[in-house]
Amino acid sequence: MRNTWLIIKREYLERVRTRAFLIFTVLMPMFIAGVVVIPSKLMTMKSGSTRSIAVVAPTAQIASEIKSQLETSEQPKDKKASDNDTAPTFHVEIRSGQGEDTRRQLAEEVLQNKIDGYVWLTDSAVRDGKFVYATNHPSDFTDFSTVHSAVNRSLMRSRISARGIPAGDIEGILKRIDMDVTSVGKDGKEGEPVGVAAFFLPFVLMFMIYMTVLIYGMVVMRSVLQEKTSRVMEVMLSSVSSTQMMAGKLLGVGAVGITQILIWLVTVLLFSFPGIAATQPMLKDLHIQPVVYICLPIFFLLGYLLYSTMYAAVGAMVNSEEEAQQLQWPVMMPLILCSVFASSVIRDPNTPLAFWTSIFPLTAPILMFVRIAGVQTPPLWQIILSITLQVLAICGMVWVCARIYRVGILMYGKRPTLPEILKWIKYA
Amino acid sequence: MNNTLELRSITKRYDKFTAVDSLSLQIPKGCVYGLLGPNGAGKTTSIRMMIGITVPDSGEVWMFGEPFKSSHLDRVGYLPEERGLYKRMKITELLSFFAQLKGVSREDAEKRVAWWLERLDLLKWSKSKSEELSKGMQQKVQFIASVLHDPEFVIMDEFSSGLDPANARELENILLELRKAGKTILFSTHRMDQVEKLCDEITLVNQGRAVLQGDLRKVKSSYGKSAVQIEYDGDARFLERKDLVQSFHNMGNHVELKLAPGADPQQLLRLAADSARISKFELVEPSLEEIFIDVVNGDKNSLAGGTNA
Repeated sequence: MRNTWLIIKREYLERVRTRAFLIFTVLMPMFIAGVVVIPSKLMTMKSGSTRSIAVVAPTAQIASEIKSQLETSEQPKDKKASDNDTAPTFHVEIRSGQGEDTRRQLAEEVLQNKIDGYVWLTDSAVRDGKFVYATNHPSDFTDFSTVHSAVNRSLMRSRISARGIPAGDIEGILKRIDMDVTSVGKDGKEGEPVGVAAFFLPFVLMFMIYMTVLIYGMVVMRSVLQEKTSRVMEVMLSSVSSTQMMAGKLLGVGAVGITQILIWLVTVLLFSFPGIAATQPMLKDLHIQPVVYICLPIFFLLGYLLYSTMYAAVGAMVNSEEEAQQLQWPVMMPLILCSVFASSVIRDPNTPLAFWTSIFPLTAPILMFVRIAGVQTPPLWQIILSITLQVLAICGMVWVCARIYRVGILMYGKRPTLPEILKWIKYA
Repeated sequence: MNNTLELRSITKRYDKFTAVDSLSLQIPKGCVYGLLGPNGAGKTTSIRMMIGITVPDSGEVWMFGEPFKSSHLDRVGYLPEERGLYKRMKITELLSFFAQLKGVSREDAEKRVAWWLERLDLLKWSKSKSEELSKGMQQKVQFIASVLHDPEFVIMDEFSSGLDPANARELENILLELRKAGKTILFSTHRMDQVEKLCDEITLVNQGRAVLQGDLRKVKSSYGKSAVQIEYDGDARFLERKDLVQSFHNMGNHVELKLAPGADPQQLLRLAADSARISKFELVEPSLEEIFIDVVNGDKNSLAGGTNA
């Protein structure tokens, strides 16, 4: 115990005192924000520029209706205020003439960048139920829905008014109604309305646990390898047992990871105080459920112990960084699979896929946690089953890897083959 | 029990080859013991088994009169052949950490570290990280780590490699002080001059087996005065007489040779004087180095030298 404790202390202090720890603590949330939030924000955001487009419509009334729809740019109210700030404004020019030469003329102007695109809504298009929006931004699909709904509303207006309904009533008929998305909790009551954050938050948390497990696992592997190549191992083994070495290393590095996660959680907690949260519109939606604060460290520990044990065995088996790079792939695979499955588990937490991946020990630390952090908390029995299986898997993995570790740390020279490793496990 | 360490027929096999083959030895308390042998003879494996780093396939290790257990390690100091220090740690912290692993309290450890750093002239480096030290200084730090907790039994695997003669002498002196204080010391080395200077008893291992064992002086005298040192000037064809000279090592004007069994040194002297001017002709005990080479080569050629247990 004395020795294990001394090793834990050494491993912990050596890492926490470094500048790298500080940098990582600050940069990691930024990196996650960069990976998760920014691309998705960019996708829903418009470029913020003005789109100058031309409209060809069956009647002047429809054309000017489209023009006013697009130029006033009526946004659905459930979008975030921040999105509106950067939404592009349309500048619409009405063209007449439904001939092919007008169309060619418009195409030519798009080509010369005089206009950004045009709506080709002819009589025949109305009849066939399909019109063309030609644009030089064919991948900006947020544009499409704006143009699409503007054209549809204009056509609807003109059709309604063709039935003799007074213009003043049309506004009332077409009035939109907004929707709040919520979930029903176990108490049978509806929860708070959830925004886009309901989707992003599990993602952010998923990345947090994924990155920390991966990175600290690799830290363990590297430092085992370094102890082996620098031959400190032999000095240490003249005082302590290999089990104490491995336990001390895993727990010491794990404590560093927990420290880091606690720093992040406390920071988030500070930001979620009403006074501070009010100043940050983005944070308003990040209402993290209290259970997440408890589950993040727990699931980090489970995932970390499972993976770092394997990483320790890899570090003990190899003699150089290059060999380690090759051999760590089998260990990394399930972790990478987690991030592949994550989005479908977040979107639909009730599928068999979500169930099995959150029960299977190698993916459970991340995917069960993702389900807990999501809107719909999974049933308690599933959480307990998942944790139980993970604990059992950790015990089994520690048993196997401690044996590989014990033999591996004293083996220099060529990398062991699979049959050799099996022999180590059997006889160690 | 007066034996600090006792190996009872320990054997260690790796896959196909046997690294240590039923090796037995006793190291009495207070003895300076030499474990010699060519590279790959199984010295390091034997030492690892003594301190429980690896477990023998068969045989027993007894330490301080009891079967080996890990709590014995607090009373053992080990300097491995390949140095290993945590590179990023400051010297004082590193040494205090190693001492605490051996059960020394923190306050006590810090005092001892300061004392040893002063003794080995490292005080001004105490705040440096170990990676900033020269190889020789790292070696001294490693040495301190192995004696810091005042062990009863010190194992030194090539303790002076990478040290200049002055520092090597300093460490030798420390070891002699430890011996005076009644500590038991085990050397594993290739430096035969050091063994002759320091050791009371030796075991020579080759291919995992003990081929020569016992009191150093007895081992040497059992070889008899069968070695001759000659300083000469002129023709050295007398060395070619196979009936008189079993082997020789000619360094120009100085030759060391081993007499063939039953050869008369007087006959050799007469023969030599015929062809060369002899300025020195001396019958000596063979040096440990010669015995070493003789035994190791003899083992290879299954030639009966003076194997003696």
